[in-house]
Amino acid sequence: MRSSKRNSELWIAFGFMMPAAILVSVLMYWPMVDTFRESLFASSFINPTPEYVGFETYRRILADPVFWQILRNSVVWTMGVVLLQNVVGFFIALLLNQQLPGQGILRSLVLLPWVLPGVVVAILWRFMYDPQLGLVNSFLMRFGAIDRGIGWLAEPSIAMAAVIFVAFWKGFPFSTVIFLAALQNVDKEQIEAAKVDGAGPVRRLIDVVIPAIAPVAAVNVLLTTILTFNYFDIIYVLTRGGPLNKTAIFPTRIYEVGFGQFRFGEAAAYGTISVLVLVLVVASLMMFRFFGYKEVRS
Amino acid sequence: MTRHAKRLRIAGLSVLQIVVAALVLLPFFWMLSVSFKPATEAFAIPAELWPRNPTLENYVLALRPEFRRYFLNSMIVSGATLAITIPLGLLAAYSLSRFQYRILSVFLAMVVLAQFFPAGAMIIPIYKIVRSAGLLDTYASLIIAYITVTLPVAIWMMRGFLMRVPRTLEEAAAIDGASPLRAFVDIVIPLARPGIVATSVFVLIVTWQEFLFALSFTSSKEMRTLPVGMNDYIGQYGVRYGELMASSVMISVPVIAVFFFLQRQFVAGLTAGAVKG
Amino acid sequence: MISRKTLSVAVLSAGTMLAAPVAHAEQIVLKFWDNQQTESGLSVFQQEAVKRFEEENPDIKVEVTTIPYPEYQQRLLTAVQAGNGPDVSTVDQIWNAAFAEAGAILSLDDMIEGTSISGDAFFPGAWESANYNGNLWGVPFNVDVWFFAFVNKDLFEEAGVDPATISTWEGLEAAAPKLTDPATGRYAIGLTGNKSEYPVVMTNSLIYSNGGTVLDENGKCALTQPEAIEALEYYKRMAEYAPAGILNAPNEPMRELFLNGTLAIELWPALEQPALEKSEIDWDVYAGFAPEGKTAVGTFGGWNLVVYKGTEHQEAALKFVEFMTREDVNGDVVDLIPANVNAASTFLQENRAKPDMMLEHLNNAKPRPLSTQYLQVSEIQQNMVQNFLSGSASVSDAAAAACAAIDGL
Repeated sequence: MRSSKRNSELWIAFGFMMPAAILVSVLMYWPMVDTFRESLFASSFINPTPEYVGFETYRRILADPVFWQILRNSVVWTMGVVLLQNVVGFFIALLLNQQLPGQGILRSLVLLPWVLPGVVVAILWRFMYDPQLGLVNSFLMRFGAIDRGIGWLAEPSIAMAAVIFVAFWKGFPFSTVIFLAALQNVDKEQIEAAKVDGAGPVRRLIDVVIPAIAPVAAVNVLLTTILTFNYFDIIYVLTRGGPLNKTAIFPTRIYEVGFGQFRFGEAAAYGTISVLVLVLVVASLMMFRFFGYKEVRS
Repeated sequence: MTRHAKRLRIAGLSVLQIVVAALVLLPFFWMLSVSFKPATEAFAIPAELWPRNPTLENYVLALRPEFRRYFLNSMIVSGATLAITIPLGLLAAYSLSRFQYRILSVFLAMVVLAQFFPAGAMIIPIYKIVRSAGLLDTYASLIIAYITVTLPVAIWMMRGFLMRVPRTLEEAAAIDGASPLRAFVDIVIPLARPGIVATSVFVLIVTWQEFLFALSFTSSKEMRTLPVGMNDYIGQYGVRYGELMASSVMISVPVIAVFFFLQRQFVAGLTAGAVKG
Repeated sequence: MISRKTLSVAVLSAGTMLAAPVAHAEQIVLKFWDNQQTESGLSVFQQEAVKRFEEENPDIKVEVTTIPYPEYQQRLLTAVQAGNGPDVSTVDQIWNAAFAEAGAILSLDDMIEGTSISGDAFFPGAWESANYNGNLWGVPFNVDVWFFAFVNKDLFEEAGVDPATISTWEGLEAAAPKLTDPATGRYAIGLTGNKSEYPVVMTNSLIYSNGGTVLDENGKCALTQPEAIEALEYYKRMAEYAPAGILNAPNEPMRELFLNGTLAIELWPALEQPALEKSEIDWDVYAGFAPEGKTAVGTFGGWNLVVYKGTEHQEAALKFVEFMTREDVNGDVVDLIPANVNAASTFLQENRAKPDMMLEHLNNAKPRPLSTQYLQVSEIQQNMVQNFLSGSASVSDAAAAACAAIDGL
């Protein structure tokens, strides 16, 4: 009796999980293994029967200054987008959580950027940023903030900030909605209690609200980190990684090397390295989260 | 708080509301505006937010038979992906939320880790798999690829939700003689509805936008989806911005509509579910 | 296999597209891929020509796939790499050598014997681009030259400059400051500097016009030669008179600026003319610019037709290639200029301003380096241009770094 119950439980546990596991294995893991295997061969389009070179391609990549630039850019890009998206997203969620007229409409409107396809957002912003034809410069000039057009995507020192802003614009609604949902779950009685104790709004935010939503924030940060690190469309359409490789990140480099220059082996090696880098980034985030918790407890 | 202070606070917050609305709406409005501008006006200097001689010409041009075809393709692919992802995801999420076997956490970790993989590097290997399955240039290839993309997130979202559905109800049903499957269908699913709605909206939005797989696995004009179809306006020597923006507006409308109607449930679903991560 | 494919295509297209006639069992079906480069209704013209071909060859049916330019490279490469390519396709001149080296396409030397295909029918630069390692790997399909200089006559008049003076480097340099006024958004010349092929073809043309080259006869980088350095210095000086944001500027916005009447000189292939004719701009066109006493030499661009190794219908494929490049057909099936000289001559006389000037510019244009690693050479050149335009390196340092990288490939 007992064992049959256990059996049926097992059957459900595995049976229910199986379709998802098979699909992910065939369409994600096998291609990833294939990608790794490819990276061990000197393979490119012009070399149809590539020889095995082991980790030679990796060695070459690591010796190339471009790789380190891409590594730095990828970290800056990911951190920049994730921070902006979650910090600003959180404050907008706080605003949307207030009792104010017009909130219902605003809560829907705020989601607009998120529902637009990434390619569309990128094309739209390329046009917005155009030094001569774009709305951004036209506005700033009208208000006298600048007297000649700025090439937002052309200045090596601003380009990364400009692409980060676009990714933030597209992505923040997602963080806002999740934070909003979390805020609506915060225990009202606790807030009232803090109020009675004489805590001002800032104190209440720090003592009650932030600890209550910390787990959600952690999940949010993790999720946006993974999505942002691998996000291709925006940078590819806006700058293709230029100027001076200042906005080149792993996904754009992989595409450029593979499909732009027909060098599949090197693209595969870049792909494999990018997985390792992302694992490191996420692992360090989780460490940070772990220490963060400890502090709260003590 | 005095009435005066209260009014001041509301005024201040309303200003912030306007700032947020402007941040979101200005670019969107510009897109709408360009879509209604005749070609000469779209590139006037300085750029104007408001069209002077609005025209529907871009929309008329953009509504080609091809566009309707792409639209239909996108609907079919997104719809089918949704119809398969949700049940599969629900099953897996249920399994993950109810049982504690170590292998399940391995599965979960595997699914999460798969999100780390760079799509750009894997296109050719995936293309080869799709090809050997004889599925190139079919809806099936896209549907399968999209399920792979959406399923992990769907599992994650619904798992959070199911963890909040109390076990005692299923146990009560078991005592009444219901099979676990029956209990799942009759008790768990109805209680999980808001979570299912929230996840569905998410899945729809992701599949409606997907570009790279749609580009890689289809080749004929008849199989293109909307985001890929946008390339029709981009030549090596010319971009048709007006039509591009008009199509962008038309692509966005269905998603915005879905969102508008399901917004409340989406937020509610997230509140109850994923938030518990 | 073939009939199943045809059937599924027919079923799919039944709804809204032209219904494809179901092929007879004994018919050969050729798959032909091309890309759409301009706003013209290319696929419609090609369909008409294909009908003619099918009438001439009732046993062959051609399935035309027209792919938008931005996705052509990835689609073609993915399909070919997975052994699933078409029978015949166009390839960019700059890919031809790589496709040959990859073993993806057939050498045509023996095959063209007994056909009407021969080198003297085509522009020399185009024919050269289809040759690699002493063999012929493709047949030129269409061509154009980077660049012709289109001028806005009204802006020149306002500035009191004679447009004809810009055909020399010295003349252009004297005219440029007069044509530029950032305060009113006026700029002299639309140069590019983004990560793309545009800055490469533009600087190449200046180098060629100054008697220089990118790679010398031994395949060694020649960008540090004085002719090249002078040309690059000139490009850098002229960038002062180009619209702001050059480091992320592709060609497209330059065109919009020319069309809205704020840019005095637009550098573009000849195919720009139809767009200008539709606009209200009072324009004229010149063949690039060269230093005093030299002739302007453009950079060749264009596409060749290749036959894939995987095809089961070599003969039919070659027949189709021969047909598409024939004098009486070539002009009807291309977006750019026909690669067949006689077809081009007729085409230019009928469709272009100053046809003789254009024909001459096409005749002396030079292709980009014919290397299997061209795409890497190009990336290095792009970085070089960005390096000296941004001021992060002097022209000579940037060129030296580029040569070190190119020779290290």
